[in-house]
Amino acid sequence: MPAPIDHAAAARTDYDVLVVGSGVSGAIIARSLAERGLQVLIVEAGPGEELSVAEYETHLTRFYGAAAKDNNSAYEVNPNAPMPRSPDVRRLQAGHPDSTSYLIQNGPYEMDSTYTRVLGGTTMHWEGKALRMLPEDFQMRTRFGQGRDWPIAYDDLELYYQQAERELGVSADVADQTFYGITFPPDYVFPMHSLPQSYLDTIIARDLDGTVVQLEETERTILVRPTAQSRNSIPNPAYDGGKGYVPVGAVSTHQVDQGDRCQGNINCVPLCPVQAKYSARKTLSFGVRTGRVDILTQTVASQVHVGADGQVSHVDYQAYGSTTSPEHVTGSLRATTYVLAANPVENARLLLASGLPSSSGLVGRNLMDHAYLLTWGLLPEVAGTMRGSQCTSGIEDLRSGDFRTRHAAMRVSIHNDGWSWPTGSPYTDLIELVDDANAYGTALRRRVADRISRQLMLSFMIDLPPEPSNRITVDGRYVDALGNLRPVLSYSLPDYTMDAVAVSRRVSRQLFQRLGVEDRTHYDPLDPGFVSHQGDGYVIRGGNHWSGTHIMGTASHDSVVDSHQRSWDHQNLYLVGSGSMPSIGTSNTTLTLAALSFRTADHIVSELTTRPSVTIEG
Amino acid sequence: MSLRRIATVEDLQQYLHVAMQLEHATIPPYLTALYSMHPTANADAYRVIRVVAVEEMLHLTLSANILNAVGGTPDLSANSFVPVYPARLPDGEDDFEVGTRAFSRDTIETFLKIERPAVAGEDDSRFVSRDRSAGALLPAVDAHEDSLHFFSIGEFYAEIGEGLERLHHEMGEGLFCGDPARQVGPAYYYSGGAAIVEVTDASSAAAALRVISEQGEGLGGGIFDEEGELAHYYRFQQLLLGRHYQPGDEAGSPTGPALDVDWDAVYPVVPDSALDHYTEPGELQDAVTAFSRAYGDFLTRLTEAFNGRPDLLLPAVVDMFHIRDLASQIIRNPMPGRPGVNAAPVFRGLAPVEVA
Repeated sequence: MPAPIDHAAAARTDYDVLVVGSGVSGAIIARSLAERGLQVLIVEAGPGEELSVAEYETHLTRFYGAAAKDNNSAYEVNPNAPMPRSPDVRRLQAGHPDSTSYLIQNGPYEMDSTYTRVLGGTTMHWEGKALRMLPEDFQMRTRFGQGRDWPIAYDDLELYYQQAERELGVSADVADQTFYGITFPPDYVFPMHSLPQSYLDTIIARDLDGTVVQLEETERTILVRPTAQSRNSIPNPAYDGGKGYVPVGAVSTHQVDQGDRCQGNINCVPLCPVQAKYSARKTLSFGVRTGRVDILTQTVASQVHVGADGQVSHVDYQAYGSTTSPEHVTGSLRATTYVLAANPVENARLLLASGLPSSSGLVGRNLMDHAYLLTWGLLPEVAGTMRGSQCTSGIEDLRSGDFRTRHAAMRVSIHNDGWSWPTGSPYTDLIELVDDANAYGTALRRRVADRISRQLMLSFMIDLPPEPSNRITVDGRYVDALGNLRPVLSYSLPDYTMDAVAVSRRVSRQLFQRLGVEDRTHYDPLDPGFVSHQGDGYVIRGGNHWSGTHIMGTASHDSVVDSHQRSWDHQNLYLVGSGSMPSIGTSNTTLTLAALSFRTADHIVSELTTRPSVTIEG
Repeated sequence: MSLRRIATVEDLQQYLHVAMQLEHATIPPYLTALYSMHPTANADAYRVIRVVAVEEMLHLTLSANILNAVGGTPDLSANSFVPVYPARLPDGEDDFEVGTRAFSRDTIETFLKIERPAVAGEDDSRFVSRDRSAGALLPAVDAHEDSLHFFSIGEFYAEIGEGLERLHHEMGEGLFCGDPARQVGPAYYYSGGAAIVEVTDASSAAAALRVISEQGEGLGGGIFDEEGELAHYYRFQQLLLGRHYQPGDEAGSPTGPALDVDWDAVYPVVPDSALDHYTEPGELQDAVTAFSRAYGDFLTRLTEAFNGRPDLLLPAVVDMFHIRDLASQIIRNPMPGRPGVNAAPVFRGLAPVEVA
């Protein structure tokens, strides 16, 4: 265990805060509170024995050995705390829900997004993009008549974005990241300099920069920009008023000294081999070092109990000894304040299973995730594809503008890992060349190199507004090995998003034409995620950016949490993470949810330290 | 070998040249042991040796920084820079030989000798008098005092530290006449369990020396240094004792988690691999030659990096991956005509082929 604590001792301890989930939100809140003197217990449903390189490498070894390298392939199948896995997703037949895997797909759209239930949460498979949201993303209703406004603005989060960029170790240069309303304080620099753009990026930039793209009445000129990333680069000596920044390398119990810089490995997802990419294990290890954070793994929070006063009174848990047996013990944990940081699906699932749909009835609703359209082809020249990290540049110019009144905005990533996402390259290329093309020896090597090093793949990450009908529910017919209700997903892609899918395909054709790319994009009607729209078919992939299930707002009748992520209904309960976000714009959600976590930690501290104290006269 | 006590800047530069040679001399033995392990076996042992090798690279760079600070010119490309293994350490420790060998108990015993803690105190007691060995590796030095040898790397650095102090006392800041632009800073050097130190004055020079001696041999006898880092000697000792050290432990009695070592999951590489082991033309000879050329290119790149181009340490990272891959390929091959023995890379640094 990361800290020597057992369930009996935890049950006897008066914690200030109980955090459910050891992912990035839970880890940040736990560390932040512990550093200010509060006593914190984290319960993690998934496995994890110690914050060591040895344990990390067991995940890595499993990934290397896995036949299908999906983003949860590094983690063992665990019926006691199951998780969605993208290879489980099947094409749905209308009216026939698929309950064969953990996440019950009710349709009509089948979603291949996942999250990860292990120590460190979904940062154990995230790619590491660390994008701020645009100021206009916080005002979708006011500016564009779509979706919802946030109760706070970009400026309210700016300071917390800075804290998140420190914690997540973001590498970027301010000049590259100042666009479409994003602002920084005058002397701000990121902790580390931007990572170098790949050779592929420079080829794309050479041919695309200056291309004009028309989105409704908005005209945009393309500029390929380096992407802000949570992976270690050259530290910026000007950081923090000249104090500089020391990159956080591999989390280690025995001084394994690696991960201070990105080495350019291409398998950022799921795991950086040297831990140059941020994971919540880094934050957890700092938290544990305060001596005020205890962690219980293989401990599933199964029920949240609310007392007559409306406050959460305790949380029941199930602790299992082995992932191969459902045997477990149960008990209850108590704290002054409770934080659910179990990701939007699990947060909603736990609340609904506890009979707490909130007075608004919105728990589980307004589920969002980015819709991804992938387009791919062969470049006319060798571009060095497969030299990492996974994405080093993107196109930000389609993210902002008045066209957002008509269709969703999108952000384009240039993938250094070629066609791996849509086709399973390079493994599928190799199999095809050997089995079908009968290539071997030198010729095989040459053909593999020729085919892979010219691959180009663009991903269009498309905004999706909150809709109450997109939701997570529970259903007594579906339980997991420990008897916990499984999540049921009902989901469809709104026209606002699908119109942007069609625009993305058009833009992709324009960009490929400009690049001289041989378009190899193909959407198979039999593939999961196939959607028809206005006569054309597309395969839409999930972005793993689950959001919205405990949406933030200004009043208890139409939202679940306030701007501090505190439950409107239960004053000592916080629901944290991207589940609180009223919009997701065109930014990967982690940096924003990390910023929200810092803001929430401040609020919890102020609440817990301003309680009236009793003075005994002596 | 013999070095005279440091009396002049030239003496100091001489010592620092030897220091770079010394730090480098440990790396081929460590890498050979590391690469001889079967993939995925011995993960604990792999990490222990890897970290020490990485820290020796930090020490090499710190030595270059000090040498540059006092006006010297680092050179890793000279023919004599790389020892012919088996070799004795260039600081004059001549009671044992160092070779490029497979991972084994004996190899770790040798590593313990390389990293053995200093025993001596001040002044002359750090030297031991012994007959010079014919096999000693000698840098070109003036032998004003004959037959003085350092007992440990720690004592060798202690002499450098005192020499620096004496010269600084005599010369003042004039001692640090090197161009600061030749210093390698944190922008281009990372890893190694401690920050790189840019050396521009007496206190930064002392700080650089402190990192080297504390990380390596724990001068002063502690098993952990000020930053809580375990000294190399004790890292290696963990492999023989089968257990990790943890804070609070006494030397020789680690009480941390068990450390699994599989001494058999190792390729039986030829000890002290040399170019004349590969006289038969063919793929193996080509691979060994390619490795030595790559190693030579790498040392040339480091020389340039330490002579005003610290940015070249970025492509040097790619060189190191290349060196690892080439070495791993060689080690998978049996030696022709020698059953039960595998080939191993030769860290000789062949000059690049001249292209007309």
